[in-house]
Amino acid sequence: MDAWIEFGRGPLFRLCFTLMVLGLARIAVLTVIGMVEALKKNEDKIVPWRELFNKTFTWLVPVTVLFRTRPVYSLVSFLFHIGLIITPLFFTAHVLLWKRSVGFGWFTLPQSLADYLTLTVIVGGLLLFLMRVLYGPARAISRKQDYVWPLLLVIPFLTGYLCVNGSISAATYRWMMLMHVLTGNLIMVMIPFTKIAHCILIPFSQLVTGIGWKFPRGAGDLVIETLGYKDRPTWVEKPRLGCESMDRVEREADDK
Amino acid sequence: MKPLITEQERETAFKFPKKQEIIDKQRLPVRYHVEDFDVEDRPRRFLEAFAAILKHTNYRFVLDHYVKVSAKCSRCAVACQIYLATGDDQDIPCYRSELLLSVYRRHFTMSGILRGRIFGDPGLTDEQIQEMADSFWNCTACRRCHFECPVGIDHAIVTHLGRYILSEIGIAPRALVVSTREQLIGKTGNTSAIPVPALLDSLEFLSEDMEEEKGIDIPFPIDQEGAEYLFVPAVSDFLMEADTLMGNAAVFRATGDSWTVGTGYFDGINYGLFYSDHVLEKVVQKIEAEAERLKVKKILIGECGHASRSAYFFYPTFCGGKDALPVINIMEYTYQALKEGRIKLDPDVVTEKVTYHDPCNIVRSGWIVEQPREILKAFCKNYVEMTPNRRNNICCGGGGGTVSIDEIRPYRTMVGGRVKADQIRATGAKYCVAPCANCKKQLRELMEDNGIDCEIVGLHDLLYKAIIFESAKKSEVIRGENSRNHMEEV
Repeated sequence: MDAWIEFGRGPLFRLCFTLMVLGLARIAVLTVIGMVEALKKNEDKIVPWRELFNKTFTWLVPVTVLFRTRPVYSLVSFLFHIGLIITPLFFTAHVLLWKRSVGFGWFTLPQSLADYLTLTVIVGGLLLFLMRVLYGPARAISRKQDYVWPLLLVIPFLTGYLCVNGSISAATYRWMMLMHVLTGNLIMVMIPFTKIAHCILIPFSQLVTGIGWKFPRGAGDLVIETLGYKDRPTWVEKPRLGCESMDRVEREADDK
Repeated sequence: MKPLITEQERETAFKFPKKQEIIDKQRLPVRYHVEDFDVEDRPRRFLEAFAAILKHTNYRFVLDHYVKVSAKCSRCAVACQIYLATGDDQDIPCYRSELLLSVYRRHFTMSGILRGRIFGDPGLTDEQIQEMADSFWNCTACRRCHFECPVGIDHAIVTHLGRYILSEIGIAPRALVVSTREQLIGKTGNTSAIPVPALLDSLEFLSEDMEEEKGIDIPFPIDQEGAEYLFVPAVSDFLMEADTLMGNAAVFRATGDSWTVGTGYFDGINYGLFYSDHVLEKVVQKIEAEAERLKVKKILIGECGHASRSAYFFYPTFCGGKDALPVINIMEYTYQALKEGRIKLDPDVVTEKVTYHDPCNIVRSGWIVEQPREILKAFCKNYVEMTPNRRNNICCGGGGGTVSIDEIRPYRTMVGGRVKADQIRATGAKYCVAPCANCKKQLRELMEDNGIDCEIVGLHDLLYKAIIFESAKKSEVIRGENSRNHMEEV
């Protein structure tokens, strides 16, 4: 059992972490390439950079815009995200593992604060799940992964919390720790391939939209050429079916 | 979620105006009229058009990003006035975008194609195209949802692309297509099919009217080569918004700047913004041609949201980037003139309660927000704001070209404008200023169908009533008094 745990937080962690970093780097680079290529293709290079950066920053720290719609959900989600990002990065035991492995560590959270943040994530994750299940519009647009993610994210936090604070037997502790390590690794591998990719993509979103509204000149003509239309369908005076104009059909129907 | 409309209203709003045989023939039961086009093989042709558009435009990286980043939080639902009215799941902005994004994922991404092969998914169907044809034209493309999206998706750009693809296989509202055809390849070259002699006649008539009312000669300069501004209003203003035009002319008379209406092209309307980038480009380039012919220095767009946006944001796109002529809106011009003290306004003319409606196309980008308010506050004693207002304002319900589709009026006034109607009613205003040809038409129908006693006017309509010319003949003071009395009677 101990060997498995050691494997989980040693070689397996290194593999999963590398996959996550490479995966996220890949989509970030692809996004940047997409933006650069679009700008190159456009004759119009006027982009409201300042406004787009402002919007990006506003949504990275969304305190001013959070409560306009769905305030409760938004607040829970905000706190959930804070715990989710900060706790794993600055938890003392995690930093110690890094120190052991790569030789350097960094600032760590006081234990009590880490505990509160962990509880926030656990409660927040469950609430987010419930709000998705119980709120009609959210249910209408949810995919499978949208239900799975909040629950999956809670598991390493719950097991981690129990390991640190629970009065549990040594055997249970090992099981908990194994689950903690394995789900943590699983999450890292899945991040680049699922919606959690938004963790790296959000800073680009406003720029992508801003540049997306700029169109290349002459593209419309090229589209027509590629499609092989002699005329755009909606520019042709006569109906294209070769049958009578729809107006006549309508008139006849009216006459009846 | 509980809808605002009753079951009965829903039935009226979503009633089909079409005959069964037309539906059978076109195999497309959408609420708006479409012209005849091939009905066979629609999914294949849709995908071909989609592929061609992805190849030549920039949409691919946008869709790629949206597909990955979408977190399905459903905050946009509450921001959408259509969804608030109907409470139907398919009107949630995120749901609507997913219609097109799922086609993109299935047919244009590696994982989607692979998954399709493995699970034997046949791909795009006629039913999906039907759903898109309905859904994309339910949306008013107001972009309000964009401001609530924490991951920064702009659902309007997806709707915009969806409509473009559909139009390439012949699915677009006939009302828009017919107007555009007249504008681009027709004899009159404008969407309302106004011949030049008729235009000149009506402008002359307006000048005479103004001379009578204000006691001063207020001309509409025609084809003045080398003028500072080429004036391009929504062409429907020439037919229906005489007061707005008179206000525009009066401002220029007061400032004395040179401006001109071009007989070669005088239509700011650009339905391309609503259904096709190709049309958008061609129409913008018609303005460019006229500007070159008359050697003007700036393009001045009249009171119209979509005309302003399509010129302001897409004139550089299609006419030379940074070197393109500057485009401004008439309200910016008037505001500047007012600030410099070149216009005198009588603060005692308009005493009724006035409110201001922000047209989506000029306000969401933060372009024209405070200017009209400053102008109104300069001469309206009783000015009130709607809530919400400014960049967060609610769409009139006729945006995205839907206002021009007459057959869906019940939908627009019961569903699309439902929230707006309540909002205007709550202000209790006598005048609602809506500086946009689309918004004006929609709001008037909305007031009529909902029995709200509020007059919809343009900003320059009111300004025209209040503007003072010091050089005017003395007798005008009396006329001014008369018009004031007339206002009170109204």
